[in-house]
Amino acid sequence: MTNTTKLPVTVLTGFLGSGKTTLLNRILTENHGLRIAVIENEFGEVSIDHELVINAEEEIFEMNNGCICCTVRGDLIRIIGSLMKRRDQFDHILIETTGLADPGPVIQTFFVDDEMKDKLTLNAIVSLVDARHISLHLDSSEEAVKQIAFADSILLNKTDLATPADLEALEARIKAINGVAKLQRCQNANVPIAGLLDIGGFNLDRAIGLDPRFLDPEYPFEWGGILEVPAGMLTLEASENPDPSMTAVIIPVGAADDESLAFAREIAVRAFSHKAIEAPYGSDLTADGIPYDMILTDGPMQWTCNVDASGPLAIFTQHYPEELGLRFLSETNELQPAIAASYKPDHTHDEAVTSVGIEADGDCDEKKLNAWLSKLLRDRGNDIYRMKGVFAIKGNPNRFIFQGVHMLLDPADGEPWGDRPRRTSLVFIGRDLDRDELNQSFRKCLA
Amino acid sequence: MSRLIDHKELEEDEVEIRSAAALLPLNWTAALDDYALDLRWSPDGTRLAAFPSTGTPQLFNLTKDGGERSPQRSGACAANETAHETFGNPSMLTDRPEVGPCHRDLPSHRGGNGSLAWHPDGSSIATFGQDGILRLHDIATGNSRELQLPRGWAERCAWNADGSLIATAAGKAVHVIDAATLETTHVIDDHRSTVTDLVWHPVLLDQLATASDGGARMWRLGETKPFARIDDGGAAVLTTWSPDGRWLVTSDQTPSVHLYDLKKRAPLFIQGFETKIKAFAWQTGGTPDLPWLALGGGPVITVWPCFGKNGPRGAKPHQLYGHLKEVTALDFPKNGPYLASGARDGFVLLWLPHNSNGPALIAQEKSEITVVRWSPDGLQLAYGTASGRIAFHTLNNKA
Repeated sequence: MTNTTKLPVTVLTGFLGSGKTTLLNRILTENHGLRIAVIENEFGEVSIDHELVINAEEEIFEMNNGCICCTVRGDLIRIIGSLMKRRDQFDHILIETTGLADPGPVIQTFFVDDEMKDKLTLNAIVSLVDARHISLHLDSSEEAVKQIAFADSILLNKTDLATPADLEALEARIKAINGVAKLQRCQNANVPIAGLLDIGGFNLDRAIGLDPRFLDPEYPFEWGGILEVPAGMLTLEASENPDPSMTAVIIPVGAADDESLAFAREIAVRAFSHKAIEAPYGSDLTADGIPYDMILTDGPMQWTCNVDASGPLAIFTQHYPEELGLRFLSETNELQPAIAASYKPDHTHDEAVTSVGIEADGDCDEKKLNAWLSKLLRDRGNDIYRMKGVFAIKGNPNRFIFQGVHMLLDPADGEPWGDRPRRTSLVFIGRDLDRDELNQSFRKCLA
Repeated sequence: MSRLIDHKELEEDEVEIRSAAALLPLNWTAALDDYALDLRWSPDGTRLAAFPSTGTPQLFNLTKDGGERSPQRSGACAANETAHETFGNPSMLTDRPEVGPCHRDLPSHRGGNGSLAWHPDGSSIATFGQDGILRLHDIATGNSRELQLPRGWAERCAWNADGSLIATAAGKAVHVIDAATLETTHVIDDHRSTVTDLVWHPVLLDQLATASDGGARMWRLGETKPFARIDDGGAAVLTTWSPDGRWLVTSDQTPSVHLYDLKKRAPLFIQGFETKIKAFAWQTGGTPDLPWLALGGGPVITVWPCFGKNGPRGAKPHQLYGHLKEVTALDFPKNGPYLASGARDGFVLLWLPHNSNGPALIAQEKSEITVVRWSPDGLQLAYGTASGRIAFHTLNNKA
């Protein structure tokens, strides 16, 4: 499905009220230079009266091939087949699904039906999320979880209706379900349309950008914030010692805003994976992304950090500052965070649907890999919603790339490895995945 | 359940294909605005309606003074018609007229054309499109009447046997409309998804069948539930009723067909085709035992006996090898033995299915053949292509 001459199809999912109609109206009216046919579900929030909008009734059927995952959408095959007969061809097809729909059959349609495979290429699954209400849906609806799990791109919409802390917590929860989707915040579904339609989530060439290291569903810190710090000495003062020590990291950022905090958060995730430097109270800390293990004792404790120039600093702490009575002091006054977020794993939302990333240096044995994947998909195909991977196969000078949905795989030869280190990266998104078991069983495939 | 037997891969050099140029010479060609969705002859064979996927439907008048079946020349067209200029590959034209038949443009449908159907007496033609509009065009006067129906994906319009009613399938609903008053007399909407096709009983005026989710349903007007159904769980696409009313046949999105024997009230399932079934044709003349059903489904055409006690059940079909790609169009003349076929390979072939001889080549196009239609008398053949080209051949009885 890498042929660029094929007509791209984007699937838009999202619960009622997530802003799909707003987005569809923008797609149909904005001057983006693309002729886009929209296949709207009959139960759409608002029926859009537009020449390019086609109303469809979901018509799910099972292929008679014995594969329990081969449920596809007959209506899409027929309607898109008819659209392909028109000379005034479209640049893109957008398929809207209802909030109650399982995205699986829509996606599988483009894997299973020969004509669809020949003429169309699945661009991406875009999931629109109502930032204020999605948590309720995730708690109560399997379909809401699946819409996150299947997505290549998640638009966190209506961010103006949620607090920064809520948004951070929601992003953490979404990442726990789907660690590889591109996450974008927006209001009124206001995102660049051309960018939205050029995601290439199903483009195998782009799968090589996969980095499963960012799939850890839990952050190693509970709190992060940005302080506007004047030049001079910054003092961290604690009064409680719930634990013998607490890890913290200080990172310079460009501004005290959401974007900078999110940027620093990723740096902090990496920093926390390194061994922290032991820092008894009274010692100096540096604002350069180095993790410090602050040793906690009785009584007031202070650590200092020399700040050369005034500016915003992001601080991430293993525990909430209030658990330690932690305060941030400049030379003249106490500093309050301009922006802060909680990253404490919310154990009431222990997700059954998660992402599992696997990474290994060196080559795989093709036979062992085939056997492993076959068994895995046979046994667990129903629970594996999406998978993407780049393999180094022994004897194959090229990257071997695949992506799939449930039991359906779309493999292809990728670019040559050349001088780059040969390594395998793959990601599974699905239900009740056993991270350790998947990792261990995969490692038996290594050559 | 039947399964195709002796199904073999077709090798290009296995079948010798003769030319049918002497038997069925090309008469004229024309260009439509878009993909040729359908061609339909008027019941008397004097007109040919050509229906593109988008753009202007055209109505060709093939009469000459006295009704002679040859293209009418410029200057002799009626007031609401214009002469049609021919085009095409000159090397293929053996007797190329300078100007083709007169034609009349019909209004197109916003959002795309859907379906067209001649009134059984040929007095009018109906077109139906994605705008939800049903138009009835009176042939004699050139006037049109139209009815706006609820929008939905428009798949089919069809007249009942005497032309008193016309039915449309759009979305999940079938609207049955009184042709005289344009009033909706019945709405059949007990479908879980879009009605993909509808067909009236060939004789009975109040029975029709719909293809939809899970298979086909057969309805009597005025009843709320179908009186019979083929419930196979598949996504039905096309449906056809045998001319004797015994068999209802449905294709779906898998390489299979489902038949319902109304005589025995029993279903029959045939699978093993290489691809989905894109084309049906009933043979109703030219052999003692009738009817036969020709099916596409990959490059091989299969022709099944639909007579006798069991019909196709347990029967070995004729398997016709000649096309290189999926067969997309089939047609028998009303009373003749010749089967015409078109495929994605661009070939239009002529067959005598019950004869062991191979096919004869009528034409070779660069794009997919989308439709083939014999005139009611079986003396003329028209076909259309995905590029919008249509061509018209006339049988040369002297050949």
